Amino acid sequence: MIEFHLDPSSGVPTYAQLVQQVHQALQLGLLEPGDRLPTAQQVVASLAINPNTVLKAYRDLEREGLVRARPGLGTFVVGRLPRTDPQAQAKFRRSMASWLRSARDAGLSGEEIEAIYRTAFRDCFVEGEGVA
Amino acid sequence: MTTAMETAGVGKRYGRRWALTDCTLTIPAGRVVGLVGPNGAGKTTLLHLAVGLLEPSAGSISVLGERPNAGADQLARIGFLAQDSPTYSRLTVEQHLRMGEWLNPNWDAAFAADRVRDLGLDLGQRTGTLSGGQRAQLALTLAVAKRPQLLVLDEPVAALDPLARREFLQTLMEVVAVDGVSVVLSSHLIADLERVCDYLVVLVAGRVAIDGDVDELLAGHHLLTGPRRDHVALPGNTAVIEASHTEKQTSLLVRTETPILDPSWTVTPITLDDLVLAYMRQARDRDRDATSEPASRLAVAR
Amino acid sequence: MTRFAWLQSRTQTLGVYAMLGALAIAAAITGVHLSNLYHSHILHCTIGCDLATTQFLHSDTFLRNSFDVLSLVTPALLGIFWGAPLLAREFEAGTYRLAWTQSVTRSRWLTTKLATGAGAVATIAGILTLVITWWYRALDKVGSNPYDLFERRDIAPIGYAVFAFAAGALIGVVIRRVVPTMAATLGVYVGARIVTTRLIRPHLLPPLHKTLSMLNADGFGFVSSDGSPITLVAKASAGSNTWTQSTQILTSTGHVASSAQLTAFVQQYCPAIANPPAPGAPGNGPVKAAPGVADAFHACRDEAARVFHLAVTYQPASRYWALQWLETGIFVALAALAIGGCYWWIARRAR
Repeated sequence: MIEFHLDPSSGVPTYAQLVQQVHQALQLGLLEPGDRLPTAQQVVASLAINPNTVLKAYRDLEREGLVRARPGLGTFVVGRLPRTDPQAQAKFRRSMASWLRSARDAGLSGEEIEAIYRTAFRDCFVEGEGVA
Repeated sequence: MTTAMETAGVGKRYGRRWALTDCTLTIPAGRVVGLVGPNGAGKTTLLHLAVGLLEPSAGSISVLGERPNAGADQLARIGFLAQDSPTYSRLTVEQHLRMGEWLNPNWDAAFAADRVRDLGLDLGQRTGTLSGGQRAQLALTLAVAKRPQLLVLDEPVAALDPLARREFLQTLMEVVAVDGVSVVLSSHLIADLERVCDYLVVLVAGRVAIDGDVDELLAGHHLLTGPRRDHVALPGNTAVIEASHTEKQTSLLVRTETPILDPSWTVTPITLDDLVLAYMRQARDRDRDATSEPASRLAVAR
Repeated sequence: MTRFAWLQSRTQTLGVYAMLGALAIAAAITGVHLSNLYHSHILHCTIGCDLATTQFLHSDTFLRNSFDVLSLVTPALLGIFWGAPLLAREFEAGTYRLAWTQSVTRSRWLTTKLATGAGAVATIAGILTLVITWWYRALDKVGSNPYDLFERRDIAPIGYAVFAFAAGALIGVVIRRVVPTMAATLGVYVGARIVTTRLIRPHLLPPLHKTLSMLNADGFGFVSSDGSPITLVAKASAGSNTWTQSTQILTSTGHVASSAQLTAFVQQYCPAIANPPAPGAPGNGPVKAAPGVADAFHACRDEAARVFHLAVTYQPASRYWALQWLETGIFVALAALAIGGCYWWIARRAR
């Protein structure tokens, strides 16, 4: 079972944040086929969001073929997302950590490092692929 | 039942002042409706009309298909939480629950008892000594344990601290998830409503500035930024809600159903906050123009 | 709704009943004693009766004073502390918004609150006036005209209390603030009582008239104010336990004697005794007649009885209960009007 969290300042619609978090959990292997997603009531009770938002996110996931709702039982994971090799993940995390350390040692503040990351990320993904 | 509330040309006058003018709304059932507007916009008046505490001076209103305050049956179908969550300060929590039981035919005593226990309220405590958050939670419990089809909440979180605010909304959303009850709640802060509402009504100076499904509203509005220009050509069904200019740049908040294809504009989606504020400013400027000489405005070619 | 109305007023109801109970016990014990005293010392008294009566009338000073104050102020207190906050507090605290959105119609809510409240107030006032009237029955027999105690005995206080309650409720609906409502309730109650006593009660039943000789006058004397010519004054009672509303001096032709006629009479027949007060002397109060003047006084009065007679306007003792019922009825009717006003005003305000 995973737990959702929200970033209200991100500007990303709430239901899209829920979808993203399921995607990430699938990619990281935190969710496997057969796992149950929290019920709408559980999500709503912890996040104080509209239940329709949760249902909308789950409908989107269902449309993608990642989950299936079983009436009376809950919503279960049925699909997989192409998952990165754990070794590759670990390798990139290590190199990222060493990059962060060297940036810090060079006297950059956390804020500056984050700004550099964001700009580089946007250059690489958002503008490069023309996604709004 | 597909509409929770329907108003046609509703107006409410206090003496000479109109608190609400020509208000026509159709609010679907099964939704969480946010009623937003600055203080004094007429939110409380509209909600009091909906629950029958007031009668309209003009137009007609029907709630769950009936005139509000039509009788005890109609009252039983609507739960109301008034502004500042009034309770009888000299009566205890338990006595309030008994009041609910005696005065409401569909009273859910088990729900009320569970809720009060979960909230950690002392049954023997007088409500005058409860904190604002506890009182709001108790008042919400009273309104929900009535098992209404429509919950009407007037500024329920305005007086609460952030934690109490969050807990209150959690409770409310849980009730919506379990019961599928329709909710109309007002606030002068969009941040209170952003997470919980899926339908929005913006009320400014006694008039409806805009209303609609939140997702549709967000999808239908865009922020356009581009080089400064004084005359703007936009597709025919595009309305400019707000325009601002710097020396080099023009920014427009537009409502449109067709994509903006002009490459000289950078199109960004807007937040609910932007949207509500733009409509509030638009309504305020319209009022100001009506009373003073017209300011020079952006000419829009349609 | 009745259960809830009871829940809301429980504390004050029980408190007031506890006080009433204590009063009733005190009244029962001392009342029996008073009754025994009356039967043993007063009723069949043969010697030293004046002294015995005076002593009897001065027994139980504390309880008597308490009852006198209570019978006077209780209706006003019930109006101020029961009627006034009944609805005003709901508006002031905003709880009417809670009450009116339960599954109970506004008119049922109002009816229940007003009916239980008026019932409680009438019961309290009724018990109190019953206790006081019973306790005082021996004392009243000895020393009092029932008309002097009209407003403090029997059923009139119930009417006053119900009216004060309803007036408080109505004023609360209009003003919607507790403390100003209490003040206004006191004002309206006192005003209504004064208007009724002065202007309405004397005209409720057409009074009877009786002609008496000057010799039957209770008071006979002369009056002069600020140096005006001296005239004759006289007062008379139509009989024990009657309510004398006015006494007039009539001439032999049956007309009201003018002050000129009275002055002329005094100058002609009573010059020896009717002297204007010496300049600088205290102006008011009886002046003790000088020795040897008594004969002149009697001669003057006998002559007056020949020339004039007295016409007394009064209500007989037998009308006491009719007037009690009428007075009570008037206040209950006013209360009903005020209660109707509550419904009307609440419906009007929603529009």
